[in-house]
Amino acid sequence: MTLFHFFNCAILTFGPHAVYYSATPLSEYDTLGTSIKAALVYLGTALVKLVCLATFLKVSENDSFDPYQELLKALIGFIDVAGLYFALTQLTHRNISQNHKFQAVGLGWAFADSVLHRLAPLWVGARGLEFTWDFILQGLEANANLVLSISLAALGSLMWLRKNKPKTLIPIIYACAGIVATMPSITSYLRRGLGWHFPKVVGFELFTSLVMAFISWQLFSACQRPSS
Amino acid sequence: MQSNPTTMSSKNPRERQMLESIYSMIALVFILVTCVELCDAATVVDVYRLIQYDISGVPFGSRFATLNHHAGSLHFAPGVDLSRTVLIIPVRELNITFVKEYISQRKPLGGLLFLLPQMFNFENREAATESKYQIREKELMKTVLVELERLLIHANIPYPVYFAFEDDDIDAVLADVKRSDVSGQPATATTGGYKLVVSAPEPKRIASPSITNIQGWLPGLKADGDPNQLPTIAIVASYDTFGTAPALSVGSDSNGSGVVALLELARLFSLLYSNPKTRGRYNLLFGLTSGGPYNYNGTHKWLRSFDQRLRESIDYAICLNSIGSWDNELWIHVSKPPENAFIKQIFEGFSTVAEELGFEVGLKHKKINISNPRVAWEHEKFSKLRVTAATLSELSTAPELLESTGGLSDSRHFINETAIVRSIKLVAESIARHIYGCQGKNIQIFADNTSLAVNAPYIRSWLDLLSKTPRVVPFLTKNDPFVMALKKELEDHTHEVNVHHEVLDGMFTLYDSTKAKLNIYQVASVTFDLLLLLVLGSYLIILFTFLVITTRGLDDLISLFRRPPSRKVKTA
Repeated sequence: MTLFHFFNCAILTFGPHAVYYSATPLSEYDTLGTSIKAALVYLGTALVKLVCLATFLKVSENDSFDPYQELLKALIGFIDVAGLYFALTQLTHRNISQNHKFQAVGLGWAFADSVLHRLAPLWVGARGLEFTWDFILQGLEANANLVLSISLAALGSLMWLRKNKPKTLIPIIYACAGIVATMPSITSYLRRGLGWHFPKVVGFELFTSLVMAFISWQLFSACQRPSS
Repeated sequence: MQSNPTTMSSKNPRERQMLESIYSMIALVFILVTCVELCDAATVVDVYRLIQYDISGVPFGSRFATLNHHAGSLHFAPGVDLSRTVLIIPVRELNITFVKEYISQRKPLGGLLFLLPQMFNFENREAATESKYQIREKELMKTVLVELERLLIHANIPYPVYFAFEDDDIDAVLADVKRSDVSGQPATATTGGYKLVVSAPEPKRIASPSITNIQGWLPGLKADGDPNQLPTIAIVASYDTFGTAPALSVGSDSNGSGVVALLELARLFSLLYSNPKTRGRYNLLFGLTSGGPYNYNGTHKWLRSFDQRLRESIDYAICLNSIGSWDNELWIHVSKPPENAFIKQIFEGFSTVAEELGFEVGLKHKKINISNPRVAWEHEKFSKLRVTAATLSELSTAPELLESTGGLSDSRHFINETAIVRSIKLVAESIARHIYGCQGKNIQIFADNTSLAVNAPYIRSWLDLLSKTPRVVPFLTKNDPFVMALKKELEDHTHEVNVHHEVLDGMFTLYDSTKAKLNIYQVASVTFDLLLLLVLGSYLIILFTFLVITTRGLDDLISLFRRPPSRKVKTA
């Protein structure tokens, strides 16, 4: 029965990635390799991030919100963007359109993030006898994260790969990318600075991820129009 | 159009290798994680198991220790199958007829968890002393507990039975369980389904438990001749207990009060005997015996170890048993007829002193049945060896086997310290008058406010220690600190302190695992999980159709289902 619960939570956490891959044209154009490469890049980025966090951040005794430390953390968080840049531009991709490339990279990125951050707690926690809503919420958070990663990858591909884009849209693209990239810091602030509870934070994340996804979709199609 | 994994893997052998190494890494992580013990229960409480024992191979008590069932309360709907439910019953609201019915008819239950008031928790006396219980309420609780104990000890219960103390956590759990039981809904994540888990090993038989008797002498003044010729007066008390929950059987009255009295008597007479002028012409023998609940097995072994001359030199023996909670009447139990000259002498000595102290002592005669191995009183072991002996007790009738042996209800709260002081005065004065030959004279040797007064703080401190120490024999090892403390105390007051280790034999077999940790988990029901699966499944299906429609169009989605299976085979 507890294994059942673990199974449920795992479906919620990792199911959307699989569904996304199989439902969209990604599965038709053999983009699995790209996703795996992106995941490996994520692993490397996470490692670098860990080293940076360990070097520059001091361990806080209490769980309070320290603006300076959080700023540092947000800066270190931008290593993610660097990793994503590397994944989008430097990796050689066989005959894959830009359109699919960013999706594959975003998917691999989000999946690696979920595996790295959520699988172990899920395995340890959700199989315990004690029931909590935490793992279901964590699964929802993984969904929001998937949407955000793909949005960020889309914005990234607009920034770095597309040459002929309308000049007026460039600042908006950069602003959106900035917001999406600082999302982890914003949620951390909400949770610790304002003392929001986990369900509220997850709700916020879901909401903003949908909004950001919508905006980046609009931007992407706006940039696509002149070229097509 | 079709993605072909075989071509991919043949193209990228390096990538495949890397993937395999990652898989093995992940597998390793999984194995490591499963090794980690999962213990994040909502609440963990100490629980004390009902005793499990055999009498000549006939099983009694609770026969199991492991527990893994849902919690239920007494408000369950009638006709519900309780074979997978642990009933949580606060002793305050105990309905004894219900428990009796369940146990005597051997109805199936998952388990029983009795909640005792904090009053009985000897480990936090602070909370207990400031409790607001009225005396009547306390007495009521005691009678209920005595009845419950009698019921549980003599039954063979095929499921685990545990005792725990009420606290805020467990009260909250019980309130939740009650609420869901009353509303009649099955337990879900939101309506408070609780699972009680005790993971304990299978109870094992305790092979040849040891019992320890401690004896000390106060030798009398050697007149010209052999000191062995001096008569001896023995003062005996058994110190171990037996009760429903071995880890809670402290037996403050039975027989903590007797042990305290014996230690105080040893102290008083050592004062007298340390001065040659007041040293009597009697040897005093103090014996702390073990195995009391098991037909005074320790007393039996101890007496057998005496040589014939010593046994014959014993003038009489006074056994102290349960003298801590009486009001104005004590009983002297004997097994020789009251007309017997020695008995008459002892009784008259005691009753005159009692009269002076302002209470009464009654005499009860109970014949020994030689053919029956069971003895009701400790003095009967002496009487069987033709030694004059009597038991001083507040109990007017002989207790049944394994009753009044210091169980759950026998807590410090029901002890009257002044009663113990008066009992000590009675015994000390009577023995002293016997020793110094001043029967019938109205003199007080152990008068208050003299150096020979009974020391109330000393009594209180020993009583507190005894009321905190569970003393069921198989769980009291040879070198238990408590046994060592008793020995040390006797050594302080008497000479030639000997410790006899014997093996408890007879028809009793006890089992271990008396204490455990109870984990209380809040759990969701299977229905909840099924519903969740349904919701998640539909979420994924909706997501799939949404993505297919937005990225490939509706026609593609329909064609996914339209595609005939024969074509699939062809392409594959």
